[in-house]
Amino acid sequence: MNTHDPIVGRYVYVQCEGKTYRTYYEEHGEGIPMVCLHTAGTDGRQYRHQLCDPDISQNFRVIAFDMPWHGKSIPPADFHLMEDEYKLTTKFYCEFIVAFCRALDLRKPVLMGQSMGGNICLALALRYESEFSAFIALEACDYSPGWWIDPLHHPHIHGGEVVATSVFGLMAPLSPDDYRWETWWYYAQGGPGIFKGDLYFYSVDSDFRDQCQKISGKVPIYFLTGEYDFACTPEMTQRTAEKVKNSECIIFGGGHFPTSEDPAKFKEVISPVLKKILSADPERRGQGSNALSGRSISESRSSSRSERPNEGRKVIEF
Amino acid sequence: MSRYGSRSSFDLEWIERWARKVNDDRILPVVGRFFTSKFVLGFDDTEYLVDVRGGKIQKIAQGLTPNDMGVEFWLKAPSSAWSKFAQEVPPPMFNDIWAMAHPLHKQLIIEGNSLPFWQNLRALTRMLSLMRQV
Repeated sequence: MNTHDPIVGRYVYVQCEGKTYRTYYEEHGEGIPMVCLHTAGTDGRQYRHQLCDPDISQNFRVIAFDMPWHGKSIPPADFHLMEDEYKLTTKFYCEFIVAFCRALDLRKPVLMGQSMGGNICLALALRYESEFSAFIALEACDYSPGWWIDPLHHPHIHGGEVVATSVFGLMAPLSPDDYRWETWWYYAQGGPGIFKGDLYFYSVDSDFRDQCQKISGKVPIYFLTGEYDFACTPEMTQRTAEKVKNSECIIFGGGHFPTSEDPAKFKEVISPVLKKILSADPERRGQGSNALSGRSISESRSSSRSERPNEGRKVIEF
Repeated sequence: MSRYGSRSSFDLEWIERWARKVNDDRILPVVGRFFTSKFVLGFDDTEYLVDVRGGKIQKIAQGLTPNDMGVEFWLKAPSSAWSKFAQEVPPPMFNDIWAMAHPLHKQLIIEGNSLPFWQNLRALTRMLSLMRQV
């Protein structure tokens, strides 16, 4: 007998900043809408485990979309005429997320994003808090410098391999190999320059260090960061959370891509958060039981150089 | 043997054992087929020249001489950082060369021509990860 995932994929046309974006999204479940944001340079496949998890889908309508230029969402029609390289801006990112939610007629969804999708939660909490009922910011902080670099998009360097390999170490060594390499694969499939362009938002255009205190706290923000995240360290998340009203900070034994690198571990850490969101919004839960039991998901499965000896040195030929 | 990071020095004998692990690896001939370069691994003030052709190490040497032309890049870190990197399960911030090199952490210094470094990042990452099996 054939086995299918319960995920359904569709395309929706989203208007943003005067352009139309044919946008791919996948969804499953019923109840509180929960929109999921992928990391830089990848796509919504990072949420395939959560989309399939009956403990989540019985209470949440889980929706993961591919940002323009990513996954199965295409670039705008005139992209070949652009006079600058692709750069994701804070303004566009915010407006697109809101436009996508409106295009699907979602009312006050929960927004869950990781990495750049986590950082944008801060901007949305500042600018569009009335549009959302809760933020789950995975691997997020108020400032994450150092990633907007040319080697990630260079004609002499294989973009897919170098992009994927440069993020591999962000994952925890004990996350399952299969899932770590699946995550590597998502990165290897990104369009040329898209990872780097997303990192313009991540490292350059988004600095919320002086803005976090201005978040009203009307919408709860849950920060979750893995201890192996060297781009957004636990300390960086903790410092951010301390500045944000009505926030919680959870540090766990994982890495930068919790939804895809170790979905079983992620379920352990996200279930208490989802329970809180459910108990704060009981009317909108799905028709299933309120389990979120924590059982395994279905698939669970100094730059000075040393003195150089000129003679008597040891050399080994192979 | 290196799981708990007890190693305090990386001598030539250890580097040789690592090089033999590299040359016995069955993945590197695939992902490192075009990895031909000379680079230097620096542990504190000790440098080892690593001469790679087609993903296999042809020669290692302690220290550099004027005859060592064509060295392309240097990866230098304190032995305390390499020691953590080489643990079977390395601790956070030491599990990856980019983690150690990232401006936030500054444990690893990358010098020289960074182009071949980036071009061969996948094979180089695999190669260095084999330190965990030495």
